[in-house]
Amino acid sequence: MKLLKSITLLVLFAVTVLFSAPNFPELNNSRVVDNAGLFNTYQRIDLEKRLAAHETNTSNQVVVVTLNSLEGYDIADYGYQLGRYWGIGQKDKNNGVLLIVAPNERKVRIEVGYGLEGALPDATANSIIQYEILPFFKTGNYYDGVNSGIKSIFEAIKGEYKPASSDNKDLPMGLLLFPILFIVLMFIGTISNAKNSKERIIPAIVSGGIAGIVSWMMFFILGLSVFIAIAVFLLTLFSSNSRGNGSDYYSSGSNFSGFDGGSFGGFSGGGGSFGGGGASGSW
Amino acid sequence: MKIAGIIGGILLLIIALVILPRINNVPKLDENVNMYASQLDNQYKRRSDLIPNLVATVKGYASHEKDVLTQVTEARAKVGQMTLTPEVLSNPEAFKAYQNAQDNLSSALSRLMMVTENYPELKANENFLNLQAQLEGTENRIAVARKDYIEAVKEYNLELRTVPGKWVAALLYPEAKIKQNFTATTTETTTPKVAF
Repeated sequence: MKLLKSITLLVLFAVTVLFSAPNFPELNNSRVVDNAGLFNTYQRIDLEKRLAAHETNTSNQVVVVTLNSLEGYDIADYGYQLGRYWGIGQKDKNNGVLLIVAPNERKVRIEVGYGLEGALPDATANSIIQYEILPFFKTGNYYDGVNSGIKSIFEAIKGEYKPASSDNKDLPMGLLLFPILFIVLMFIGTISNAKNSKERIIPAIVSGGIAGIVSWMMFFILGLSVFIAIAVFLLTLFSSNSRGNGSDYYSSGSNFSGFDGGSFGGFSGGGGSFGGGGASGSW
Repeated sequence: MKIAGIIGGILLLIIALVILPRINNVPKLDENVNMYASQLDNQYKRRSDLIPNLVATVKGYASHEKDVLTQVTEARAKVGQMTLTPEVLSNPEAFKAYQNAQDNLSSALSRLMMVTENYPELKANENFLNLQAQLEGTENRIAVARKDYIEAVKEYNLELRTVPGKWVAALLYPEAKIKQNFTATTTETTTPKVAF
């Protein structure tokens, strides 16, 4: 059990290291990331509500970000990387838009995902910034500027996509992987009544190999699948009582699905990508 | 004997697990590079397509800035003859020529945008402002596409140059060649900004 726990921790660690990028703010299940503190609670909730309603109607993901600092980056350079990091927009449509406000640098940007570059071309994004947003920002009225900005953005992009007909969110492949591994383990544990580890070497290699191949087909991450293969191999080799252990793995398998269930409620990026489309302005 | 067999089996398993998943890496990364190259080429083409309109608009207000205007038109004509095909990617001379032509166009364009600063009427023209926004957006996309391409080539070249990818390539893909990457030019490090 202990071994298993540390292995899962290691796997999770490896996954986070693979996908992390430096110094971006966290999304925290929210469509309004107000790091610069430009909005009060009422305004934030109001914006959040309208952004969420827009996603339900059109599947477009629009996110408002205010930043304390651009960390020396050009806002366009920062913007597309942040959009990719969060994965705003649906994966197959790339229909995300970021409205980025950096009050300290006095910069604003509309970052447009690949899939909306046709509906919201650079010239349109530019005129939204010049005529809808900047007049308010110049008087220090951030909320009204953002408000009229997202109104115009909605207007431009609302006809482009329809929400997916079936609300069939992709199950994370990892969730499927673990039950399969445990079943394989249980199966092999049951057929081999061998008492010492030497006699278990063949089933151990087989189950390790199966686990490695299955995980490679699912993740296409080499290090991870090799790791899983070796872990399963060692587990099978050194498990003291095959039957008891089998049911142990199984119960922790159901723990996994419970553990991931929490993330279905809030907002998260759909995996959309950005290519530098949009416009910037300063005041 | 038995122990040696076990150790041998484990070693075989580990080698198989290291090599097998990499068997398709070279063609996969190769395709990846080609995809990013054509994305980059598309963005360069898009910039090139903006130029006739831009030149015509600027001419309407600043017809005597002939030098800059012809420079842009000539640089565009040169760029128009080149495409970033997979053959160009592994040919140092052709790749360099492509990069030079695009860099020339970049600097000619930034000179043109500098000149337009002196014409307030031009800068108030709606059509010109739109073109300016489009040009700025396209330059952004080019920067992003270039970065993506550089990353993809880095990954591909690394696979070809390091073990075990090197062995796999020597065995299965002897025709695979190191691909050319962009070098940051002086014009790039000083970033020709489209200024407002």
